[in-house]
Amino acid sequence: MIDENLTTSNPILEAKSLNRTFGGLVAVNNVSFTVNKNEIFGLIGPNGAGKTTLFNMITGLIEPSSGQMFYQGEEISFLRPHLIAKAGIARTFQNIRLFGDLSALENVTIARHIHTKSGFIRGILGLPPAPSEEIRNKQKALELLDLVGLSDRAFEKARNFPYGDQRRLEIARALALEPQVLLLDEPAAGMNPSEKNQLSEFIRELRSQFNLTVILIEHHVPLVMGLCDRIAVLNFGKLIALGDPAQVRTNPAVIEAYLGSD
Amino acid sequence: MDITLFVQQFLNGLSIGSIYAIFALGYTLIFSILGIINFAHGALFTLGAYFTYALMGEAFGLNGLLANAALPVKLPFALALILGSALAGLVGVAVERIAFRPLRRKRADSLLTVVSSLGVALVIVNLIQYLVGAENYTFPGNTYGNLPAAINFGTAEKPIPIRTVQVVIFGVSVVILTILTYFINRTKYGKAMKAVAEDPITASLLGINTDGFIVLTFFISSFLAGLAGTLVASSVSIPGPYFGIAFGLKGLAVIVLGGLGSIPGAVLGGVVIGLIEAFVPADYSAYKDAFAFGILFIMLLVRPQGLLGRRFVQKV
Repeated sequence: MIDENLTTSNPILEAKSLNRTFGGLVAVNNVSFTVNKNEIFGLIGPNGAGKTTLFNMITGLIEPSSGQMFYQGEEISFLRPHLIAKAGIARTFQNIRLFGDLSALENVTIARHIHTKSGFIRGILGLPPAPSEEIRNKQKALELLDLVGLSDRAFEKARNFPYGDQRRLEIARALALEPQVLLLDEPAAGMNPSEKNQLSEFIRELRSQFNLTVILIEHHVPLVMGLCDRIAVLNFGKLIALGDPAQVRTNPAVIEAYLGSD
Repeated sequence: MDITLFVQQFLNGLSIGSIYAIFALGYTLIFSILGIINFAHGALFTLGAYFTYALMGEAFGLNGLLANAALPVKLPFALALILGSALAGLVGVAVERIAFRPLRRKRADSLLTVVSSLGVALVIVNLIQYLVGAENYTFPGNTYGNLPAAINFGTAEKPIPIRTVQVVIFGVSVVILTILTYFINRTKYGKAMKAVAEDPITASLLGINTDGFIVLTFFISSFLAGLAGTLVASSVSIPGPYFGIAFGLKGLAVIVLGGLGSIPGAVLGGVVIGLIEAFVPADYSAYKDAFAFGILFIMLLVRPQGLLGRRFVQKV
């Protein structure tokens, strides 16, 4: 059921027997998988299958009850979120979490915090080279806004953006961290069919332009099937299938648990 | 009211108000980042005054463990003020470690943290009493060097004397407010702090060390408390370990009036309450606090979010 040929080529992220329980509920149950560099990796499964819990473990928001998570060969299971972000893993949220009262530009520049080199005292006093760095960060942020098609609205408050634009803004903000791995939690939620098509193309572009590894949670099955190199299927916290779209599509356990009921 | 008296009371009110403002800002900073009122803030106010007093090389009195003890240094007031406030800031950092962080880690209800901060406040107050007794301490007469006791803001014929202490308090408060505003709005660290205040989880995923910024916030907040405590004590005296408790309640009135979590609100609220108190007629000055809290009461009925507060946002 698990394709052994693809799992060892060039791993960037590796989950080993991950478990997470909340009280009596087992949210993630003995899940192991490897994500390869430059891959677009899909994570699908019915609601409550443990997909977001898995994202929360990868990004350090919750610790695994047991098992390990490796990133570029280093264990990150118990690393705090800001250090994981610094190491190169960025994410977006299922329910968008922008800083609503800040402008689009400010939302993106905040994520440049870790790339601002000026020391503490200089940073506090606003002494050079902090201002020049600030200008560089702003430029970088504007480029990213341009990339997601929002540069003409850089100074508008994030909360005033329509839903789809907020999703794009969240992606721009995540990219501002200059990540190696980008986690997208239901990026197509709330988008219309033509926007969904554009999104697939956009995610592919991001991968090649930034040399990214993308892991995405998505409910829209055609999008996942068309976009992902490999797909992991979770059901009730367990990994029930892992492989390329064709393999997953024909897997009886998947049809039973997920696709059949869709 | 006679115009010179009016101006005099106005300037005095502004001075008192400015000290309320920087004190209340300490509450506001922690509230905006954690959604919790730090009830140890008043105790840190008291501590700041004692630290500065000690750093100036003044001796403690007859009671307490440290009776007649004095530090071998005699720092000038300005330096002792900064160091004493910084020490209060460090105690604030310890308070965060002891009373806030463990409960935050366990995701405890914020009411529990409020109670725990109140407990720390009482421990600090009792420790002070244990160490240096409950007597009144007055800052040395030369605290403000050779400055005259009062400055005339009027003319020779119509003098409007203001105590030098009040002028210094106002000046220091304005400088601190300016630095703080610049820090929060213009620097990388201030911006990150705002991000932590708005959404700590997202901030951490953007590479911002949220715990680090919470510690920094406690330091700044407690520094402000210590500074305010010292300035007030240098104007009157340190009446005893419970000094900061009443002031702490006044600070609560200020932030509720100005708007919980609003930095400009804390400043405006402080100045408004300072001015109201200054214009309470002398015959009723014993009831100043009642006036301040009366205003607060009316405010809560008419505009519960405070003067500059946003609509109520439930913080977790």
